[in-house]
Amino acid sequence: MSQAPATGESALTPEVKAVIGVKAEKIEASFQWGIEREGLRIFTQAIMDPDPRYWDDAFAKTTKFGDIITPPIYCTYIGRRQRPGTEDPVTLAFQQNPNSDGIGGVKGAEGRGGLPPVPTHLKRILNAGNEIELRQYPKLGDRIFSQAKYADIKERVGKDGSRMLIVTMETIYTNQNDEVLCILRASGIRR
Amino acid sequence: MTTAQELRDKKQLYFDDVSVGQQMPPLVIGPLTPTHLFRWSAAIENWHRIHYDQSFAIYHEGLPNILGQGSWKQSILPRYLKDMCLPDGWPWKVSFQHRAMIVPGDTITVWASVTKKYEEEGLGFIDLDVGMRLQYDTETCPGKATIVLPIRGGTAIPYPFVPPKKLVSQ
Repeated sequence: MSQAPATGESALTPEVKAVIGVKAEKIEASFQWGIEREGLRIFTQAIMDPDPRYWDDAFAKTTKFGDIITPPIYCTYIGRRQRPGTEDPVTLAFQQNPNSDGIGGVKGAEGRGGLPPVPTHLKRILNAGNEIELRQYPKLGDRIFSQAKYADIKERVGKDGSRMLIVTMETIYTNQNDEVLCILRASGIRR
Repeated sequence: MTTAQELRDKKQLYFDDVSVGQQMPPLVIGPLTPTHLFRWSAAIENWHRIHYDQSFAIYHEGLPNILGQGSWKQSILPRYLKDMCLPDGWPWKVSFQHRAMIVPGDTITVWASVTKKYEEEGLGFIDLDVGMRLQYDTETCPGKATIVLPIRGGTAIPYPFVPPKKLVSQ
């Protein structure tokens, strides 16, 4: 299929450009007790990684990391857990909609630290790919913080001439010493 | 599957011993079962029913079966690269796209092939094509990665890892 000329006005409006670089509130993704051993066990067993660096204290002390470590990507999931003391989101979701898909209406902790919406008429969102950059392994007891921002927004023209936006969100995960642990870059297509 | 003892005893792969075009040892996982998928959903508190409620997935959502989670796939790739780099290398970064669906019964081969090797600030960088291939050869998670491996007689890879300025895109 040949490339059709772009149709309509540019989707990369001044309002859209203005959100590039906008940062969300920095939040603590972990609970106040930080990364704990049992959560780490459940996570690493779910990815079927038996690495003794995650559970064998004596061995971990002999490694270059000097202590029990955590998969860096673990940071990106701990903030999604239901926070203690909050209303049960699962019960709430099914009270509101008996046919709930289990995720619509299950707010959990995901509303914290969110970015403002991109001011565009393009509503359909497709995953365009992710990048994970690792700097340091979190350790047991570490408290994890995250801050998201709109790292970049570009316009692309589809083969049919329709305009779309490629929105890249970057979330930086840090520990209690403000050291970078990992960076997640998630790109989405708006069309 | 890799065992704890194999990871404990892992011998270092050196930059010097890697060549462009080389296929790295794969990691085979599976066949996956509904229980594997359910365990992952529970571990990260992802309550989307398409991952564990077969009736909902098929009859409500029109899917062929419950689906493997993209979040699980994106956790497996760093794990594979970590194993490749142990004990003293660093799995710097990986990017990927989600393609074909994973369903129970699938067996996944996580793979990598070397596309480039280069030195920067005395460190040995290896660029890789990576992916997760299903048993019928469909690619479900194509991507690219860069790892850092020790150079024999060279400087130790810093930890925490700080990428050379020249290689940082922004």
